[in-house]
Amino acid sequence: MIWKTILFVLMSIVIISGITFPIVPQPSQWYEFPVIAGLEEKAKIIFFHVPTAWLSVLAFLMSMIYGIKYLRNNNLDDDSKSSAALQLGMMFTILATVTGSIWAKFTWGSFWHWDPRETSIFILLLIYGSLLALRSAIENEDKRARLSAVYSIIAFLTVPFFIFIMPRIMVGLHPGSLELDPNTGKIIQGTSPVIDFKMSPNMRVVFFMSLTAFTILYWWMWKVRYKAIIIKENLTKK
Amino acid sequence: MENGFFGFLEKNSIFIVMFIVLVVWLGIFLFLLNTDKRLKAIEKELDEVIQKRKEK
Repeated sequence: MIWKTILFVLMSIVIISGITFPIVPQPSQWYEFPVIAGLEEKAKIIFFHVPTAWLSVLAFLMSMIYGIKYLRNNNLDDDSKSSAALQLGMMFTILATVTGSIWAKFTWGSFWHWDPRETSIFILLLIYGSLLALRSAIENEDKRARLSAVYSIIAFLTVPFFIFIMPRIMVGLHPGSLELDPNTGKIIQGTSPVIDFKMSPNMRVVFFMSLTAFTILYWWMWKVRYKAIIIKENLTKK
Repeated sequence: MENGFFGFLEKNSIFIVMFIVLVVWLGIFLFLLNTDKRLKAIEKELDEVIQKRKEK
């Protein structure tokens, strides 16, 4: 119960502060966020968009961990946990893609740019979408669990590259990317306000509260989901 | 950019933030709805099993 209370308090703070705290050129109060040129009010989207992307990575990691556990113990409950994490991971990847493309429309002018981060999340959607298709195509539960576990291990090996490495070594529009110097045409470390995005300390507090709240929410949803899968499977066996 | 709805959102970008929050909660809501559907199917199946046992 304590976790649910913490979730309620944190999520309420994040939603209220994330929407209502003003963005001003010269913050002088603890509740004022600084203006980031090119983003302005839209900078607040970071409190809701980034946690969805974080949860997709966390969910795919958990899917792999329970895949490994299944291969070691041959316990179908681990496969159910891996499957529940996979389903949640897909949902949060879709949410990250949709919210990101809405943000892109109003910041960069169109819904999709094939920026490295957009491309990498699209590839992840294809990789994990194939895993869901694979799972639904196999009826034998042991075979399904084994294949799915191996697939989720191999699939997760690509995640650090697509999420953490590729967007940082290529020219892109997202914060942390490289950009082309307009004068020399050379690739340089991003210096424009959006690419060199730095959060103020109060923004960082709200941001980490948001990450924590969404992680607790994910944990809760994952538990309900995997319990439903396990009960269903046990019922089918009997 | 475009006039109309997009133009309105451009000028009042706090609504874009609220729209994105709405999209996130809509996604979570749909997922919970799907989980609820599964639980109802389990409940139904359990009721049938209990009914069969009673008949025996």
